[in-house]
Amino acid sequence: MDKPISPNLTRGAKIRIGLLILALVLPVLPLVSDYLLHIIILIFLYMILSLGLNIVPGFNGLLDLGYVGFYGIGAYTSGLLTYHFGLSYWVIIPLAFINGAIWGILLGAPTLRLTGDYFAIVTFGFSELVVLFLTNEIWLTRGPLGLPGIDVVSIDLTLFGGPKWEFVGEVPYYYLALCMVLVTVFVMYRIQDSRLGRAWFAIRDDEVAAVSCGINLLTYKVIAFAISAAFGAVGGSFFARWVTFLSPDMFKFWESFLILCMIVLGGMGNIWGVMIGAALLVSLSEVLREILPLFGLPAEVRFLAFGLIMVLMMRYRPAGMLPIPAVAAQMRAGRTKRKKEKPVAGLKS
Amino acid sequence: MFLQQLVNGLVIGGIYAMIAVGYTMIYGVIQLINFAHGEIYMLGAFFAITFISFLSLPFYVAFPLSMACCAICGVLLDIVAYRPLRRSPRLAALITAIGMSIFLQNLAMIIWGSRPKPFPQEALPAYFDTTAVSFGGVNLSWFHIFIFGLTLVMMIGLNLIIKKTRWGKAMRAVAQNQTMAALAGINVNRVISYTFALAGALGGAAGIMVGAYYNSIYPTMGYVAGVKAFAAAVLGGIGSVPGAMLGGVVLGVAEAFGAGYLSSLYRDGISYAVMIIVIILIPAGLFGRVLKETKKSM
Repeated sequence: MDKPISPNLTRGAKIRIGLLILALVLPVLPLVSDYLLHIIILIFLYMILSLGLNIVPGFNGLLDLGYVGFYGIGAYTSGLLTYHFGLSYWVIIPLAFINGAIWGILLGAPTLRLTGDYFAIVTFGFSELVVLFLTNEIWLTRGPLGLPGIDVVSIDLTLFGGPKWEFVGEVPYYYLALCMVLVTVFVMYRIQDSRLGRAWFAIRDDEVAAVSCGINLLTYKVIAFAISAAFGAVGGSFFARWVTFLSPDMFKFWESFLILCMIVLGGMGNIWGVMIGAALLVSLSEVLREILPLFGLPAEVRFLAFGLIMVLMMRYRPAGMLPIPAVAAQMRAGRTKRKKEKPVAGLKS
Repeated sequence: MFLQQLVNGLVIGGIYAMIAVGYTMIYGVIQLINFAHGEIYMLGAFFAITFISFLSLPFYVAFPLSMACCAICGVLLDIVAYRPLRRSPRLAALITAIGMSIFLQNLAMIIWGSRPKPFPQEALPAYFDTTAVSFGGVNLSWFHIFIFGLTLVMMIGLNLIIKKTRWGKAMRAVAQNQTMAALAGINVNRVISYTFALAGALGGAAGIMVGAYYNSIYPTMGYVAGVKAFAAAVLGGIGSVPGAMLGGVVLGVAEAFGAGYLSSLYRDGISYAVMIIVIILIPAGLFGRVLKETKKSM
């Protein structure tokens, strides 16, 4: 649909390049405070998380309610390795990725053969168990006291005779998060267009048809779950080194819900939609956090809005703000059928 | 120690059973995990303390009144949130259920505040605290007896409703096959409403009893209780009402013993672990039929 404005670039590409340039120069613009940068980093973090989660409900059509479990695993992997062994962040990223993937496989392999509802519940139980573990294994995680004083990220070139540069303030983290988002988006696009992605879409659209085309359902679902978990863990590893403090309370079910809400709002399966969903909800969350106390309400009440958003989206725009055609068609399928069946089945009350 | 844990387990297990029955009945008729069911339970407790402290109704009046309010809430929940999505993919309904759960929880937080509220003890009959039976070093108060007796009465009543009445027959028919039930002249939507009302009333009753028993009522109480009750329903075989009852009691006892003998820190973890293990190893549960591979969830 894109009409080429210039001979070489489509409009979409121009928007993308424009956004990228804006993102690159943003910290040096006037009026950009540390607080704003902080929120934008938060948006970037949630973009990584929601892109990771998107693989399971968006690409595979399975509901994952325990994503925050992997986020927590990644965060504590990063936090503990820093706290106890002082590992560099650049080593921790792949370790967190692998750890997330391992747990994804461990949880996914026995449970992904279940029907959708059961799978959702098992993932939920898993994330609760992760929180319980983090709370109670005080010898390892310091439990509810939290894990304070995690080192900031640093680029250490002393090995090669260079300087050691520690990340102070929000600006270096901003660029780090930006890089991570770009890598995530790149990987997501590559996966989406690969054989793997096509297999997932086939599973999402019709499992029976996918099996008869020779797709091993369990294998592909486990791969999806593991990759999704790995990105969750990477998000967590960044989070740990950015806020330099971890506590088990940060990884409650609310977070899973919030990330799921971003996907639902933006459009399940749509990479751009999911990112926009993340940006919108983080902004909304921050605005509400400021506004609600003015009315004498606790800031947690903002989840009321998120619950409402989810219910309303499912009712009126089940495929999200930026729907992708396949998901939209599936979500619509039942509704048109209802209209046809109504007179036959007499379901009207 | 052993007997004390057993008594604790049975009392709390009975309450889990009452919530679990709601999950299982609703799953039976519309194949939906009603995540918001735990919130109905929470609302039951809040209704009760509101009736008692603001309208100064006696406990015995506030109790059924709160149950009725919960029944209405259940029906409204169905009409507002789930009915429009009846024919939508399962994923949509499931997400709506989670959304409603979070919504109700925060609504309660706005209305009643997020701090735990005590149950007005003066409203409870005075003899609740007195010892009714004492054996083997275990003291059973009248309150224990009340909770256990009421649970038993409600479970038997529910069984009678499902087995003997026209409603119950219609419910079983809808659970088996909605289209055929509709063809046989059953108003499916009304039956679903009845089911939500019944489930809501039972959940509400459980909420009031827990609120009074632990003397603490807070907006997030439905969350953990809901998950545990769901675990009980899964353990019993989802869709099976006697299964949910047994599952609740088994889970309650397991939790009491686990907390008493293994580690009280992992008290909540026991039900999650039981749930995951049951789902993986025997997804049909103790009493359930093997779940048919339903249409793709999305």
